Amino acid sequence: MLTVKDVVKSFNTGDNTIKPVNGVSFSVEQGTFAAILGKSGSGKSTLLSLLGALDKATSGDVVVDDVNISRLPDRKLTAYRRDDIGFVFQAYNLIPNLSAQENVMLPMEFAGVPHATRSARAAELLNQVGLTEEMHARKANRLSGGMQQRVAIARALANSPKLILADEPTGNLDEETGELIIELLRRLAHEKKTTILVVTHDRALAAQTDRRFRLARGRLTED
Amino acid sequence: MGVVSRSVGNAFRNKVRSGAVVVILAVAIGLALAMLVANQAVGAKVDSLKSSVGNTITVNPAGSRGGLGGGNPLTAQQLEQAQAVAHVTSATGVLTVRLGNTDTTGSSAAGTGTGGAEGGAAQPGRGGPGFGTSGTTSLVSAVAPGSIGQRNNSNGSTGTAPNASAPPSFSIPIQATGVATSATAAGSAINITGGAGLNDFAAASTQALVGSTLAEKNSLKVGSTFTVQDRTMTVKGLFDAGDAFENNGIYLPLAATQSLMDQAGQLSSFSVQVDSIDNVTTTQTALTTALGADKVDVTAGSTNLESAISSLGTVQNISLIAFIASLGTAGLIVLLIMIMVVRERRREIGVLKAIGASNRTIGVQFVLEAMVLVVLGTVVGAVVATFASSPIANALVSGNTSSGTTAAGPAGGPGGLGGGGGFSRTRGAFAGAEQLIGTISTSIGWQTLVLGGIGVLAIAAIGALIPALLTAKVRPIEVLRGE
Repeated sequence: MLTVKDVVKSFNTGDNTIKPVNGVSFSVEQGTFAAILGKSGSGKSTLLSLLGALDKATSGDVVVDDVNISRLPDRKLTAYRRDDIGFVFQAYNLIPNLSAQENVMLPMEFAGVPHATRSARAAELLNQVGLTEEMHARKANRLSGGMQQRVAIARALANSPKLILADEPTGNLDEETGELIIELLRRLAHEKKTTILVVTHDRALAAQTDRRFRLARGRLTED
Repeated sequence: MGVVSRSVGNAFRNKVRSGAVVVILAVAIGLALAMLVANQAVGAKVDSLKSSVGNTITVNPAGSRGGLGGGNPLTAQQLEQAQAVAHVTSATGVLTVRLGNTDTTGSSAAGTGTGGAEGGAAQPGRGGPGFGTSGTTSLVSAVAPGSIGQRNNSNGSTGTAPNASAPPSFSIPIQATGVATSATAAGSAINITGGAGLNDFAAASTQALVGSTLAEKNSLKVGSTFTVQDRTMTVKGLFDAGDAFENNGIYLPLAATQSLMDQAGQLSSFSVQVDSIDNVTTTQTALTTALGADKVDVTAGSTNLESAISSLGTVQNISLIAFIASLGTAGLIVLLIMIMVVRERRREIGVLKAIGASNRTIGVQFVLEAMVLVVLGTVVGAVVATFASSPIANALVSGNTSSGTTAAGPAGGPGGLGGGGGFSRTRGAFAGAEQLIGTISTSIGWQTLVLGGIGVLAIAAIGALIPALLTAKVRPIEVLRGE
């Protein structure tokens, strides 16, 4: 279960203080497919970085399965990101000179999974997201956008995380591919009981989620 | 794929840039290795030159060197003083005398009509037929005087011999060295090739060691006898000193020599052993002070040797500085390249951190990536060094010894000390610092490998650790930059 309590993130820009996330509170059950909607610059990505322990909140708590990640030291945050979180980015962020399979194997390598095991699991995950066998060995920078996003989803699933955070996962994809990715994420949430939180401004995507939140001027409301 | 293979792959992500970096590194590392090899080779040459002289210092009566006399004989008391000087481990004295053949000396004296007046047995300090002999022997010299000997001998009698246009024949004196131990005047062991060494060093001893060519000339074997003055000596053993002139001599017990020549307590020279090559110069000064500069000449090595070692020391310093500078340059190249790479890949580092990589894992990856470049640069650089080290070493040496040779040349220039084959040989020796050094031959020994390895590791450390530490400062939020 993910619980966010009165989280604030502020930045100082010269004489001004900006608060892209200003007192956000919400909670979602395990296995929920939820969306956070908002315009560009509304603080969606900042909130995502706080939930994924990429950045630290100025104040407030982010609790994942009774563990307050806002108070964890850096070393434990690394372990948290590795074991409990999966990220799917708008720009995919694959390592370009590694193959699709090698990209999926990376989080498992960091978790100390033996080579043979991680190789087999990477192949299984790539098949699961619909990437054909012949694409597994292809370098990431030689895959299409849709394929790269599938590889990114497979990489996010590698260590069987409790929470997947997706930052505009369909933002760079055409409508048809976007639909496929949304369906894939929804299926994962319901079948694998993985909490999936999608940050988007795509209403079509949001319409297919179980819960929808709206972020405006740093404040979160549920539709 | 593990961190190693990923690092190797990353090193060649930009092949053109990596190739250029490897080439530049190869030049820097190659130069460093060549300088290291040159440094080691020059060091070995210095050791070789030093060991050629060893730890031995020779003490002679002041002004006596050159065979023309001068000064007073050394004494046993002076030997004790020398033994008491700091850093002296041992000091042995020898008495060297020249023996003329009984028959030749007698006939020469009769032929010239001058030597006879002074006594054919002893004409110390004079030229002429006796050639400065101080005693007689039944042995016949195995070395013919030749034209050089004839000329030197005639120089001494010019204007005194009535038939100067046809100098009388004479025999090269036989050198007898009185020793207190079985060692040469230079302190090294006598090379016995037959029989045994001396073991009776009493004044009445009749033992003698005979040089191989002299023994052959006189048909002597171990157990044969010959006379020195009026004493019959027995051949205890035969020796080989390495050249025909030295082998035209004999070794006698010191006390017996002093007794036979009526030179009790007198010595021709000391051979002083110093505890370390590094203390030779200070001990030389201390000996001169202790024994008196007006009474003794204390020599260690030669001017040329000092000049050669000094020149080589300069080369050693230059090559060491160049080695360190080249390594530093190589390290700087790696450092700058890796800083550039880290800056380029900030976002990728952020991705790796976002998906669970620790700072250590990422740091190791960048260190290994730098190591790949360094190893490749080292391999190519080693090939460069293999071909470049020898010419570089010799160019450095010749560049640093020419001035020394030029400076040394005029000191013994033509005409400076008059004619004579002996002096022309001296001039050649002064001009020979470069000859003394000869060619520097380079080879890769374990010291070079160890130092080279440490140097390359230092390059990798300098070049990779700082960028690796920089990766720790990259925050995972970088992954969202620009999105």
